[in-house]
Amino acid sequence: MLHRGLSSRLFNAGNIFRAASTACVFLTFFFLIGLPLLLVVMQVIFPDVFNPTNPNFLMSFGPLGRIFIVPRVYFAILHSVELASLVGILATLLGGSFALIVQRCDIPFRKTVGIIPWIVFLTPAYLKTVAWVLLMSPGGYLAEFGLLPPLTGPLFFAFPGLTLVHALGLFPFATFIIGTALRGLGSEMEDAARLGGVPLWRVWFKINLPLLAPALALSFIAIFAQVLSDFGLASTIARMSNFGVLTYEIYAATSSYPIDFPLAGTQSLVLLFLVTIAVLVDRLLRRKDDLKLISGRSRPSRDYKMGYWRWIVTSFAFFIAFISLILPVGAVIIRAITRTLSDGMALNNFTLTNLLEAGNINSLAFAALSNSLRYAAIASVISCLSAVSLALQLEGPGKFMRSSIMSLALASVAIPGIVFGFGYILMWNRLPLFKDIAFPHYGDASLLITGYVGVAIPYALIVVMSSIGQLAPSLNDSARLFGVGAFRRVMRITLPLIAFSVLTGFILNFIHIMFELPVSQMLIPRTESPAPIYILRLLNYDKDGLACALSLISMMIAGFAALVLWLGFRWLAARNGASNDGKWISAPSLAGDVR
Amino acid sequence: MTAELYCHGLSKKLGGRPVLQSLTLDVKAGEVVSLLGASGSGKTTLLRCIAGLMDPDAGTISLDGKTVFGEAQIIPAEKRRIGMVFQDYALWPHMTVASNLAFALKSQRLANAEIQSRVEHALELARLVPLRNRHPSELSGGQQQRVAIARCIAARPSLILFDEPLSNLDAALREDLRTEMMDLVRHEGLTVVYVTHDQSEAMAVSHRIAVMREGMLAQFASPQELYDRPANAFVAGFIGGFSALPRSELGQGHGFLVIRPEDACPADHHSDMTITGSVTARAFLGRCWRLTLEIGNTRVKIDWPAEVNVGQTLSFSLPLDRRLVVNQ
Repeated sequence: MLHRGLSSRLFNAGNIFRAASTACVFLTFFFLIGLPLLLVVMQVIFPDVFNPTNPNFLMSFGPLGRIFIVPRVYFAILHSVELASLVGILATLLGGSFALIVQRCDIPFRKTVGIIPWIVFLTPAYLKTVAWVLLMSPGGYLAEFGLLPPLTGPLFFAFPGLTLVHALGLFPFATFIIGTALRGLGSEMEDAARLGGVPLWRVWFKINLPLLAPALALSFIAIFAQVLSDFGLASTIARMSNFGVLTYEIYAATSSYPIDFPLAGTQSLVLLFLVTIAVLVDRLLRRKDDLKLISGRSRPSRDYKMGYWRWIVTSFAFFIAFISLILPVGAVIIRAITRTLSDGMALNNFTLTNLLEAGNINSLAFAALSNSLRYAAIASVISCLSAVSLALQLEGPGKFMRSSIMSLALASVAIPGIVFGFGYILMWNRLPLFKDIAFPHYGDASLLITGYVGVAIPYALIVVMSSIGQLAPSLNDSARLFGVGAFRRVMRITLPLIAFSVLTGFILNFIHIMFELPVSQMLIPRTESPAPIYILRLLNYDKDGLACALSLISMMIAGFAALVLWLGFRWLAARNGASNDGKWISAPSLAGDVR
Repeated sequence: MTAELYCHGLSKKLGGRPVLQSLTLDVKAGEVVSLLGASGSGKTTLLRCIAGLMDPDAGTISLDGKTVFGEAQIIPAEKRRIGMVFQDYALWPHMTVASNLAFALKSQRLANAEIQSRVEHALELARLVPLRNRHPSELSGGQQQRVAIARCIAARPSLILFDEPLSNLDAALREDLRTEMMDLVRHEGLTVVYVTHDQSEAMAVSHRIAVMREGMLAQFASPQELYDRPANAFVAGFIGGFSALPRSELGQGHGFLVIRPEDACPADHHSDMTITGSVTARAFLGRCWRLTLEIGNTRVKIDWPAEVNVGQTLSFSLPLDRRLVVNQ
């Protein structure tokens, strides 16, 4: 019952256990994230370190020099930066307009308009990419209806088309970031200026926009990093357009003959460098005090009365919804239920063959789908369990430890999957000791699942740690004072209260892994391919009808599984006194007696 | 059930800044002691040290003669048998009222009959029987506070700590709940340490008040003694809205003259010492006017029976037995 003196406390069992747990936290991060990235850097500095015939530690900056010598490399860097910058600006403008419409404009169907960015956000990126190929190809659906003006096709399969598809897919990021800032901005400062006789347009330029500047910058940076890391568009439209970008070039260097690991390493390092700059700027902006200006005590804003303009604004919102969601998803659905693309929507072209094949449990397509479901379930469970145990370990240590792990997790989220994949190849295919381990093993599903866990853990950790951070420390302290032991406190207080967030983390990771492309492509197992890889193969073999059917069924199954889990938890939570959204209200009500 | 508390020479630094400085405090069994002080005076740190949620850097804490913190031994929070009513009540939101009360008792592996009897007793005492199956989110602020106290009563701790339990409530509800809360405490004869920054709340609930300043006790006395004989100008300023007028302003040497607003009389009542100042503000309180006078560089508050205009010069006097002089 009693602890010994102050001096002996440093060496007691609890502290040793805590130190060991802390070491485990770092080791887990190191093996899943740190070491693969370190090997990428090593590959650049010591080009022959992973040479299978004559490995050595001879240092050379030759691979780095190729950035400036090999046109394909420096064009890939320029293309990536150019594309990411333009998409960042366009998507921020588009998403910002959407946020303004949803938050401030008195328009009809406002709730429906508000849901559009969420559906766009949750639709797999490569599905939209495939859809645009179907729509914009010379024999595609838009050409069939005469909606594809001359020259549009060649223009689309080039920089402008890439920019458009990226911007239409990524504008929800801007809507979320700028929307949050707009909610926090309230209307007090705007009202004060307007009462002083300042016209509305001037209020926006002189007050609202400067206050929203950090949010606009954050939105640009988030989208910039997303475009840099993208592999879906890079391996489809960009490749078809001969518009080389870094992610595809890294893949090409590791998969085409002769394999060029030093070049892949160099390009990975450049990509990492660009993403790191984006993350650092993001961190700096979030730390700036002036961001606090637009959060907290502001009163809810008033809506702008739009008059007749509201129909124009609503039409604009639905037009964006049409081209970013309805058109591409519609194209995929139509392609899934037709025989050939060239016969378009002729009545005799419609068939259920693709859907039946994709849904046939004996087909290869369904096997790929079930592989993905299995991998996603296993990796999501492992990542969520690890994230919960890591987060609980971090409850004890100081604030510094918690914030540094959180920063590490946030930074890890931004690391491109393709770089992760390359790091995993180096670690599990070339690094002595690791390459001989039977489980996980390079070329097996076990390594692919490990890669998925590496990608998913930071997401899960962010969700779980944020949730634990929101629990009032007094909930745990009070249980402690009443004599409740540490294990029981975790099981009966902390876990039930974070269960909803853990489930959210699980669902997000499950869907993310189901449609994950770059890590799947780099760590593709010899047998039991996941669905995204099988879909890409089908597309390469011009079996786009089956590819679309498989994508649709994957989406429906993943969505249905997520919905069942979520509704099941809500039902269970509601029976145990949770509020409608599955969260328990912990803050005391400030109102007087209500009953 | 109730215990004596003795803290001796407690020191604690947070971020290099001393928060507690060789602080000594004793609380008798069944006594209600308030820790009163401004933000940052160390009162919550002291409370958390007593609870065991934070370890002091030096000093000892004993409960009923048994050391719970010292050089030789440290008893962890979960073994001290101390209850605490938190500022946010810390009710476990996923448990019903009855489960909130029973959870800790089950953890102590008490017999079911004992748990049931304690829970029923506490629910009845706090008038919570009809609410037993509700979750905290379905209760008002006042009801949540009663659950927090009932939870402590059911656990039968040797000492209860209150951490600003009324600060989340509106003014009207606060007074009612304060009375109700202290009735419960007195009924059970509990030893209580009560943290507040509100002097009227401390005066109302306490047998003794420890006024804290920069991690030390500025004065530790009964409410009457604090009112009648504040130890220094700081305590006088903290209690009852007293003003401390430097005697140099009156040409009387060192120290401060404590002026209680209600002691001010017309100048001719005690003409051996009249104080004159200029009225800078006034507020009608119903039975009198609360005037703010500028005397030299000091602002003094007094209660006055008649209306006086701002800017007017006013002289007043103090009864001989109310002329208390203190140091800084």
